[in-house]
Amino acid sequence: MSEFKKLTYDVLTVGEEFVSNDHLVTPEDIDAYAFAVDDHHPWFFGSSPFGGAVAHPTLVANQALHLRHSKYIVHAGLHAKMEFQFLQPIQPGMRVRSRGKVIDKYERRGKHYMVTEYVTEDVATGAPLIRGQFTQMLIPERP
Amino acid sequence: MAVTETIAVGQELPTLVKEISQRQIDTYSGVRPNSIHTDEAWARKKGFRTTLAQGMMSTAYVSEMMTRLLGAGFVKGGTMSVAFIKPVYAGDRLTVHGVVKEMRPEGGATRAVVDVWCENQHGEKTAAGQASGLVS
Repeated sequence: MSEFKKLTYDVLTVGEEFVSNDHLVTPEDIDAYAFAVDDHHPWFFGSSPFGGAVAHPTLVANQALHLRHSKYIVHAGLHAKMEFQFLQPIQPGMRVRSRGKVIDKYERRGKHYMVTEYVTEDVATGAPLIRGQFTQMLIPERP
Repeated sequence: MAVTETIAVGQELPTLVKEISQRQIDTYSGVRPNSIHTDEAWARKKGFRTTLAQGMMSTAYVSEMMTRLLGAGFVKGGTMSVAFIKPVYAGDRLTVHGVVKEMRPEGGATRAVVDVWCENQHGEKTAAGQASGLVS
């Protein structure tokens, strides 16, 4: 049983780790994402150089971005920076999982930020699919 | 179709134009209350004029531009680093730009490095950074 705390700058610890739920990538995910970002590349729906359909490279980026929700109640936040290394294509039928680690937190101009390093992996093989890191601003809760 | 045979430093990539609807934001972010992306009253309470597109949507647009340029060499072997500079609101129209900055040898291949940025309908930069991928 997990205990979820409210995310604040003081509670957050550099070095703490997060793990997402597993997610099965479906053709419906790929179709919905194509609508959301208005990108209907034929490789998403049929054959590709990788032997079958591939997902949009950023399809599961939100799995990584939401890692902190696996431990915390997040009042609100803004995304400041995102980095990706696309190591292997994501394909429908894969189960993917993201793991992350807080590598920094800092204050700048009165605002608080956290930096998370992450990897998204193929659950079946453990192979890394995407590596990267992102910076998020913590918006404090006010009454 | 990748256009690797035509890539040169200084080359401006064909721009992409994205008009972002609330329905697309809802699909991208998932509708829920108390969200600056999908709950207009909540977004206003947090000081924004209306709901915001997730910054991550701009990375998808850059990804599309890079996949058009490099094909498989971006899907496997691509990189991206983007800072989100200004909010993007529901109803905004973004133009996605890219200029080839460097062609760098990497192993037996060449990595194309591209300066990328997004501008809103007012000409304001909303995101900027670099993306790269392998030229086959």
